[in-house]
Amino acid sequence: MNLLTSEHIDYIIKDLNYRGIFAETIQDELIDHICTAVEAEMATGKKFIDAYHLILKSFGHTGGLRETQKKVIQSENTKSRNMLKNYFTIAMRNLRKHSFYTFINVAGLSVGLAICFIILLFVINETSYDKHFENGDRIYRTKSEIKFGGNHYNMLYAPPILASALVAEYPEVEAAIRFRERGSYLVKRNIDNIKEDNVIWTDKDFFKVFSIPVIAGNAETALAEPNTIAISEKIAEKYFPGENALGQTLILDNKMNVKITAIYKTLPQNTHFHFDILISLEGLDEAKRLVWYSNNFQTYLLLRPGSDAKQLESKFTDLVIKHAMPQLAEVLGGDFTMEKFIAAGNKMEYTLQPLSDIHLKSSLQGEFEPGFDMAYVYLFVAVALFILMIACINFMNLSTARSANRAKEVGIRKVMGSFRSHLMRQFLTESILLTFASILLALGIVYLLLPFFNQLSLRTLSIPFNQPMLYAVMIAAALGVGLLAGIYPSFFLSAFKPVNVLKGNVSLGMKSGFIRSALVVFQFTISISLVIGTLAVNRQLNYIQNKKLGFNKDQVIVIEDAYALGTNRIPFKDEIMRSGKMENATMTGFLPVSGTWRSDNPWWVEGRDPAVQENMVSIQNWRIDYDYIKTMGMNIKEGRDFSRDFPSDSSAVIINEAALKSFRFDGEPIGSKIQSFRDGPDGGPDKDNPISLTVVGIVENFHFESLKQNVSPLMMELSKRAEGPISFRFQSQNTKEVIQLVETKWKELAPGQPFTYYFLDERFGTMYASETRLGKIFGIFSMIAIVIACLGLFALTSFTAEQRMKEIGIRKVLGASISSIVMLLSKELGKLVLIAFVLAAPLAWYGIDWWLKEYTYKTQVGVGLYLIAGIAAFFIAWATMSFQSFKAASNDPVKSLRSE
Amino acid sequence: MHSPELLKGTLQTILLKVLKDNGRMYGYELTQRVKALSEERILLTEGALYPALHKLEAEGMLKTEVVSMGKRVRKYYSLTPEGRSLVKERVSELIDFIKTMSSVLNVELA
Repeated sequence: MNLLTSEHIDYIIKDLNYRGIFAETIQDELIDHICTAVEAEMATGKKFIDAYHLILKSFGHTGGLRETQKKVIQSENTKSRNMLKNYFTIAMRNLRKHSFYTFINVAGLSVGLAICFIILLFVINETSYDKHFENGDRIYRTKSEIKFGGNHYNMLYAPPILASALVAEYPEVEAAIRFRERGSYLVKRNIDNIKEDNVIWTDKDFFKVFSIPVIAGNAETALAEPNTIAISEKIAEKYFPGENALGQTLILDNKMNVKITAIYKTLPQNTHFHFDILISLEGLDEAKRLVWYSNNFQTYLLLRPGSDAKQLESKFTDLVIKHAMPQLAEVLGGDFTMEKFIAAGNKMEYTLQPLSDIHLKSSLQGEFEPGFDMAYVYLFVAVALFILMIACINFMNLSTARSANRAKEVGIRKVMGSFRSHLMRQFLTESILLTFASILLALGIVYLLLPFFNQLSLRTLSIPFNQPMLYAVMIAAALGVGLLAGIYPSFFLSAFKPVNVLKGNVSLGMKSGFIRSALVVFQFTISISLVIGTLAVNRQLNYIQNKKLGFNKDQVIVIEDAYALGTNRIPFKDEIMRSGKMENATMTGFLPVSGTWRSDNPWWVEGRDPAVQENMVSIQNWRIDYDYIKTMGMNIKEGRDFSRDFPSDSSAVIINEAALKSFRFDGEPIGSKIQSFRDGPDGGPDKDNPISLTVVGIVENFHFESLKQNVSPLMMELSKRAEGPISFRFQSQNTKEVIQLVETKWKELAPGQPFTYYFLDERFGTMYASETRLGKIFGIFSMIAIVIACLGLFALTSFTAEQRMKEIGIRKVLGASISSIVMLLSKELGKLVLIAFVLAAPLAWYGIDWWLKEYTYKTQVGVGLYLIAGIAAFFIAWATMSFQSFKAASNDPVKSLRSE
Repeated sequence: MHSPELLKGTLQTILLKVLKDNGRMYGYELTQRVKALSEERILLTEGALYPALHKLEAEGMLKTEVVSMGKRVRKYYSLTPEGRSLVKERVSELIDFIKTMSSVLNVELA
């Protein structure tokens, strides 16, 4: 029935086209329909042209055809997918067309997002500490505040008896355990010793309080006997690879044989302690003392469900009155009463700290590991958000600045019937698309940077690829940041009046720049503040490193665990001295860096009444040897150093300037005597035999703790026993040679024992490790902030230069020099940077002041620092701008003017 | 011939039912089939037919396949599984409606 010829079909196609049927979706279908209908008519004997017109008539001629086409298109366009597809296509085209600006935006945004991501991971990690313990909300630990004899302690150390007293007195306490740190241990299975740092003594209820999965052994009976230990899986695998460690024996410090009674799962990273070996406190005599005046044990409590910690805490005052005070009265004797004790401004107070506060809100004496400061968490979050905002501002500024280029598009779209909401959606799609690309890129950046960040922050963060939360956050971030960055430009651009823009009044780009200027000022205020902050932190660190400390921290090597040498300690020291490479050597654990030995006792000037509390001076009591002061490079201000020429020096003492002030000697301090009680056989002070020491010298104050603290009173006497690490002061610049010399001797005299050492200045540096890290992290942050801000400035300048191409050409033709044009172009933005500096200075001052508050000894932050930061920021900004300005200014004017 | 106004609400139902009974069909074929079934009392206009078909397709009730016929191409419509379940619903709905109408208008259906 092929009545239609090819020519007929061509005719129909052409005619329909002519009548305005061209929509892809309907064209073919209509052609086929009409052809079929025409054929049907022709079959009844009609001529082609008559049949065609008859069919056309049934469609309603041109109008009807078009109406059908329109209806079909409309019925399809109700699908939002098509609409989004359209937005998407246009957005892609726009982004590709302006790839330079897209690059600036994506680069800035992805770096900003990456920083935010890392900080987010970090914050999540920091807030997850100790959350894995089942009874976490019922675990508390005690804090002690003790103020006595001129000393003020805020610490975690509590008396050995406190734990048992709490369980006995208060029914709401389900269990209480104590910890006792005794440093690192040498651990041996057969022959070789390995040094283990994470070793602690604890009570048998450890596993009751902390829900740590026990893999082997009975959690309830483990640690119940003396000389038993529980070890982590890690240690079990280290010493007993592929064997069952339970019931086996290890040797600690060459003398303690201990049996393994439990193996527990190694503690996760986000725990405030990481003990690998737990030794039963049953075997420690010190733990059995029933005294209240010695504080050495960290005490943790598990409360019964539903108990009120605050209420329990309020009962502790009674506990102190009932138990501690009578004992104190007995020990101190005389006219001691509780009332006098308090009237003299003294204090003995125990409070509770919930487990959840430990990592972020606590830094007391006796922490197992350094925590992190909540304030820094907030600071990090703030800085990360600021960086992200700087990146978003780049996007806003570039979009609005380039509005001139898109004004025509907006005009035409509006004339064609686009609503404002359509346009806004279009612009938002662009920004969301851009953010999405940035987020993917950011993920890559995070992946690459995380190892470095982990190194810097001492964490083991990783991207949680297996968690659906990650993807939800990513999508939410893309939408959120996309909206944040796109909402202002979309309002701004969609508000154009089509009449104005199509007439050609489109100089909007550079004119309505108030908001843009404000945003640039904001960007640079943040960047400059960060730069000033970084400089201040580094200056303080420098100050600490170079401050006169009262001793010489350089060129001293400290050999740890000298007890492993046994009786070879003295020969070891002497033989190394004989090599002639060392200047001096001393053997003591009392070193002027924190984390070494400390001992605190009350002393008084001979002749004064020890029962009168004002006479007592709480003082660091260090036991050293003849060569200590020389080795450490301390200065004797008055009197003399200990000397082997004076046999009477066994009862001599050297005090520091702070102690001199506290003792308030009546006459000449040199030759005066000070007294104290030594521990008696029962563990309490032996009051019948006070010991007397004669002051022979006064040593210049030296810093033996962090510079955050004042130098406190200190006395040094000769040690009766040779013990503790051995320190050598060496002359040689070649430290390798020094280490080699000591190590060979060590291996000779202590075969099979691990050789560990540190340099005093390194250990000194670790006291400020967190500050150093902060300085580094801040340095990186401020660098990134300023780079992103400058990226934006770079793009803005290049845009301005582009806009003013003709103007520059004309100026050059009229004789303007390159430098004057560069000035002209950078002037405006330069002004903004200047304003930003003025705003940033007080902001930074406030921040630095807050940070330096905790240091007793701090550097002076003068105007100079601000000026350096300001000039640096201005110079960087100016260099960025002048690169573009110079390019524009040195253009051949013929080129820019020719096109007119 | 019935008025197009009356047909308006039932167009989709007619198309779905016819497609269900006849398998795949193209536009012109559909108009012819309805014309024959209704003894020329229902004449689908192209202006109503194609928008309705495209809408049903967009909603996922119909699927299409394109067959090339020399110079022209022919687009066949058929039901998707979703469309198939919709037919039943729509037809019973319409029968209900007719019943309601008959009682409202107080006439007995033949």
